[in-house]
Amino acid sequence: MEYFALLLGSGLVIGATYGLVGMGFAIIYKATGVVNFAQGELLMLTAYIAFSLTQGLALSFFPLLLVTLPIAMALGVLLERIFIRPMLGEPAFSIVMVTVGLSVILRGLTIMIWGPDPHEFPIGLSTTVVHLGPVPFYPVQLYALGSLAIATGGAWAFFRFTRLGIAMRAVASNEAAALLMGIRVDRIHMLAWSFSAAIAALAGVLFAAMFKLGPTIWFEGLRSFPAVILGGLDSVLGAALGGLVVGVIENMAQGYLGQGLREIAGFVVIVLILMVRPYGLFGDRQIERV
Amino acid sequence: MRTGHFKDSYASLVALSDSRTAWVWTGLMALALLALPLLVGAYSLTLAVTILVAIVGAIGLNLLTGTTGLISLGQSGFLAIGAYTNGILLTDHGWPIWASLPAAGLVAAAISLLVGIPSLRLKGLYLAITTLAFSFIVNYLILFFEGVTHGSNGIFLGDVTIFGFDLSADRPLYYFTLAITVLVALGALNLGRTRIGRAWLAIRDHDIAARAMGIDLVRYKLLAFFMSSFFIGIAGALMSLQIRFINIDIFGFLLSIEALAIIILGGLGSVAGAILGTVFLTLLPEAIRLALSLIVDPNASTYSKYIYEIRGITYGVVMVLFLRFKPDGLIGLWRDAKKFFVNWPLAY
Repeated sequence: MEYFALLLGSGLVIGATYGLVGMGFAIIYKATGVVNFAQGELLMLTAYIAFSLTQGLALSFFPLLLVTLPIAMALGVLLERIFIRPMLGEPAFSIVMVTVGLSVILRGLTIMIWGPDPHEFPIGLSTTVVHLGPVPFYPVQLYALGSLAIATGGAWAFFRFTRLGIAMRAVASNEAAALLMGIRVDRIHMLAWSFSAAIAALAGVLFAAMFKLGPTIWFEGLRSFPAVILGGLDSVLGAALGGLVVGVIENMAQGYLGQGLREIAGFVVIVLILMVRPYGLFGDRQIERV
Repeated sequence: MRTGHFKDSYASLVALSDSRTAWVWTGLMALALLALPLLVGAYSLTLAVTILVAIVGAIGLNLLTGTTGLISLGQSGFLAIGAYTNGILLTDHGWPIWASLPAAGLVAAAISLLVGIPSLRLKGLYLAITTLAFSFIVNYLILFFEGVTHGSNGIFLGDVTIFGFDLSADRPLYYFTLAITVLVALGALNLGRTRIGRAWLAIRDHDIAARAMGIDLVRYKLLAFFMSSFFIGIAGALMSLQIRFINIDIFGFLLSIEALAIIILGGLGSVAGAILGTVFLTLLPEAIRLALSLIVDPNASTYSKYIYEIRGITYGVVMVLFLRFKPDGLIGLWRDAKKFFVNWPLAY
């Protein structure tokens, strides 16, 4: 039982980062209809930028976020302007391929700037173990869970109550109609990218602080795909929930079934889910007309 | 302007080319390719073999993604399956290469049906993500079944001979790969002008409309997966012959991206495009290496340290630029140039 609780706890923690990355995917998909394959690289780049900030300024967690998140948002806006905006109106396949291209560019540049060696990433949190019931947590792990909760709550409130959030939902549901209603669709796309980059930065900092900051951290983006698929590509809150579920499943598979299964358990799950429900568990089924 | 040029029979409509000039130039190119090993050094020949192998793979991916419109990010999985099948059959079971090479293609194709069947209901991005998941699962399974695949130790290919020629030497390997590549290219070209190829194009343009016109989606989508993976499996087998040491680390995600970059650069859905794209994309990192060694760094240590990153960035930039400015790829540029001269001095 204790073993189970332990697996559950660490699964939820790793699932929280999947959830955050997954939310980033979902926000961009919801607003622009494109899966951003560069999400993992966005996470990587922002985490490295945050790393340089801690090296230079010795910031602790919250001040670090205060500095990193605006930088990340600016980065998101910049990338959208340079790479995505000119592709407006092209088929989704082309735009997705542009994000695939963008991903290898960002990855290569980051490794060339910061070098191929992994770094420790201290963010000034204590390393005393906190016990919640039978499960021991590091404070940074609790921060990860807390961040996911805050991000989820924030996203829910944003899409439910604010003008911008409602405009974003309108763009997601019908771009042309939203444009006719006077919504600046291009600005909404830009906004989606900047929010997504901010969430990626949050996930990146937490992930790097929990493990290490290395040149393979981009893979976290691909690892989060199961979470988004589970939740449905266009459901932001579903992605957060999906992240937690996938994190737990991966850990359980590793703990009970066999070594190394953590790496693929999530992928096996999405293949199985997509066989039964081709649009994910919570995704909208699109009706196509010829 | 070319006049009196019209087609009056069905055969001439589907002919590969009705132009005598094109055939003459193709013949000349074939001669040049045959003479290549006599003219260039060992390094260039190795590069040529790399290009030929990549052409086979690119043609395979192009059948699926370019012609049928099914996006796959997981074709490195089939490449791995082809390479491993070839390696295992050659070393552990003592098969001759003429049997193990088609077997590698067939095994990859058979396994592709396993992916193809669940993917039938999926479209676009969901399909891309499923194929991506599949390639990770394949890599894991190859490491897991150590008894068959040698796991993380990899497979070392011993001497491979065909008709008495040793394929570990440069020239025999070059001719062998060239022969296979020509066969694959002809196969793909001919597939394109059959009922199957036209069905694939219809599915790419709109699968529901295609179905309404009586095209069996299940059959033709699975056939696209099957043929594509067959070619990619063969490319994997050829790759294993060239590198001679098969290790799972080679078949990473970057390989799938490289393949996509190749067909986007060349032009989606065209065999000639796949060939052009491969040649350019393989030579591009070489050109960058040369340029760097001339301008920045005489011993090019930056290049060798960051070789994967530079390659990755090159692929990325090529993909982004071509999608943005020339979605038809190099083959589109070629068509434009041809049209310009044919119609000159008129615009069209």
